[in-house]
Amino acid sequence: MKTIVRLAGIIILLWAVGMADSSQQSQADHAVVSFTNPAKPGSLEVDIREGSITVRGYEGKDVIIDARWRERVLTGEKREMEAALAEAEEELDQEELARKKAQAEKSRGMKMLAVESMGLTIEEEDNVIQVSVEEGKRAVDLVIQVPFSTSLQLSCRDDERGVTVERVNGEIEVDTSDGPITLTNVSGPVVADSSDGEIKVVFGKITPGKPMSLSAMDGDIDITLPLDVKASLKMKTDEGQIFTDFDVQLTPSQQKKEEDERKEGGGYRVTYEKVTLGLINGGGTEIQLTTYEGNIYVRKAK
Amino acid sequence: MYCERLKDLLADYLVGELDEKTLAEAQAHLAGCAACREELESLSAIWTKLGVLPKEQPSAALRSRFYDMLEAYKEGLKRGGIAARPLQSLSSWLSRLVPRRPAYQLALALVLIIAGLGSGYLLNVRSRSNARFEVATLKHEVNDMRRTVAVSLLKQASPSERLMGVSWSVQLDRPGDEIIAALLETLDHDSNVNVRLAAVDALYLFYDHPEVKERLVRSLAGQTSPLVQLSLIDLLVGIRERRAVEALGQLIQDHKINPKVKKRAELGLAQLS
Repeated sequence: MKTIVRLAGIIILLWAVGMADSSQQSQADHAVVSFTNPAKPGSLEVDIREGSITVRGYEGKDVIIDARWRERVLTGEKREMEAALAEAEEELDQEELARKKAQAEKSRGMKMLAVESMGLTIEEEDNVIQVSVEEGKRAVDLVIQVPFSTSLQLSCRDDERGVTVERVNGEIEVDTSDGPITLTNVSGPVVADSSDGEIKVVFGKITPGKPMSLSAMDGDIDITLPLDVKASLKMKTDEGQIFTDFDVQLTPSQQKKEEDERKEGGGYRVTYEKVTLGLINGGGTEIQLTTYEGNIYVRKAK
Repeated sequence: MYCERLKDLLADYLVGELDEKTLAEAQAHLAGCAACREELESLSAIWTKLGVLPKEQPSAALRSRFYDMLEAYKEGLKRGGIAARPLQSLSSWLSRLVPRRPAYQLALALVLIIAGLGSGYLLNVRSRSNARFEVATLKHEVNDMRRTVAVSLLKQASPSERLMGVSWSVQLDRPGDEIIAALLETLDHDSNVNVRLAAVDALYLFYDHPEVKERLVRSLAGQTSPLVQLSLIDLLVGIRERRAVEALGQLIQDHKINPKVKKRAELGLAQLS
C-alpha cells in the first residue's frame, strides 16, 4: 500500500500570502503518518540538505512530523553580505559570482516570497517512512516523534544544527556534514559519521551482538556506556587522544603481524594495524571509534 | 563337691567335647551320684526336644575314622584324575603357567603391564588421528558456512549487519575470491562511511590476493569521504604500492579535496617515490 502525502503547497501559499507582513514568522507543517503494520517496528528515513532533525521516542504508534521552515527573506544588506562571504570563502567561478551580484542588485529592498511549495515529501511503504526535501528549497527544522522501537536513518548535510535523537531503541544510522550528532537514551546499534560535527551518544543500554561504528573527521567522539557493558573497542585516531574512565583491558595492538604458511603450501602474509584494541568487562559488542583530529571519550554511565 | 563341677561340664559331656581324662572322671562321678544322673537326664531330654542334640552322640573314635575316610577319598580322586569342576582345572592350568620363582613372577608382571600400556597407546593414537581428520572436515564445513553468511550479511539493509559481514569475512581461514570481490564491492559502493572504513581495514589483510592492489588504487579516485580517503592512502603507502603514485597525484590536484587529505596524499606521494 503506497501512500503519498504531499503537503499542500496551496494551503501554505494562501497562508503565506495572508501573512505577507509578518515575514519573519517561520511556517510550520504538521503531518501524522501511520505505519502499514503498527505492530511491527517500523523505520524512518530522513534526508535533507539544509536544516536540522530532532527525533523523540514516544508511546504512540504513529509518526508525527513537524516541519518548521526557516525564513529566507533577506534584506538587501544581508544579501550583499552573503554574496561577499560567498566570494571570500569558496572559489566560485566568475559567472556564478556575477549572477549572484546581479540578483542582489535587482532585489534590493524587496523580500522573497515563498511561491513554490515547501517541497517536503513524505512517503510510507511497507513500514518504511521516507521524508525528503527537494533540492534548493529552504532550510527546515524537523521535529519528529516516533514509536520507541523505530529504526532511524537520518541524513542532514550543510547545516550547523545537526541531528538530535532521544529515547529511541531501534537501529540508528546518522550522517551529517557540519552539524553535531547528539543521541541520548538510545540502545540500538549506532552507525554514525560526521565530517565536522561532534558525535555524542549516551546509551541507555546496549543491544548485544550488533556491531557499531562512529567516525568523525574534525569533531570529538564522546560516548557513555552502561557500567556492565561487555564491549570490544577498536579505536583509531590520527591526531587526537583517547580518554576513558572504564577499566579497559588493552590487547596488544599489533603493529605488524606475520604469518608464514609457505611450508604448508600457503602464502606469506604481513599485516599492519594502527589501532588501539580494548576490552571492557571481557569484551563483547564490537564498537569502532575513528577520528582524525578529535578526541575519543568513553565514559561510564553515572 | 564334684557335683558343682559336673554341672559345668554337663553341656560338653552331652555334645561329646570332653577330653578322655575329664570324660572318665565325669562318668565315674555319674555312676555314684544319683542327683547328677537325674540332672543329666533332664538336660538331655530338654536338648533332645529342642533338637539340639543328635540322637546318637558320636564318639571320639568316630571323628578320627571320619577324617581318615576323607583323606582316602581325596587320594582316590587325585589318582583317578577326575576333574572335579572346570574352574578348578583352569586355575590349575594357569597356576602351571605362572613361574615359581618370584623374580620371574615380577618379570612377567612387568611384561604384562608394558603390553597393556602399549596397546592402549596404540589404540588411542589411531582414534586420535581419526578424530583429527573429522575435526579438519568439520572446520572446512564451518568455514564454508561462514563464507556464505558473510557474503549475505554484506548485502543487508542494516549497516550494523554489513559491519558484521565485514568482520566475519576477516575471520575466515581461506577467504576465497567471492569474499574478496564482495569486500571490494563494499569498498566502492556501500552507502555508509563506517562500512567502507571497515572494508578498508579488512582488505589490509588480503592485499596479497591478486588484483586487490589494483582495485584499491582505482577505488581511491572514487571515494568522497575524507576519512575513507585517508584510510585508503595509509593502506596503499603501507603496502608500498607504487601504482598509487598517479592516483595520489590526481587527488592532490582536485580542488574540492579536504586539506587534511591533501596533506596526507602529499606525504604519501613523497614516501612512495
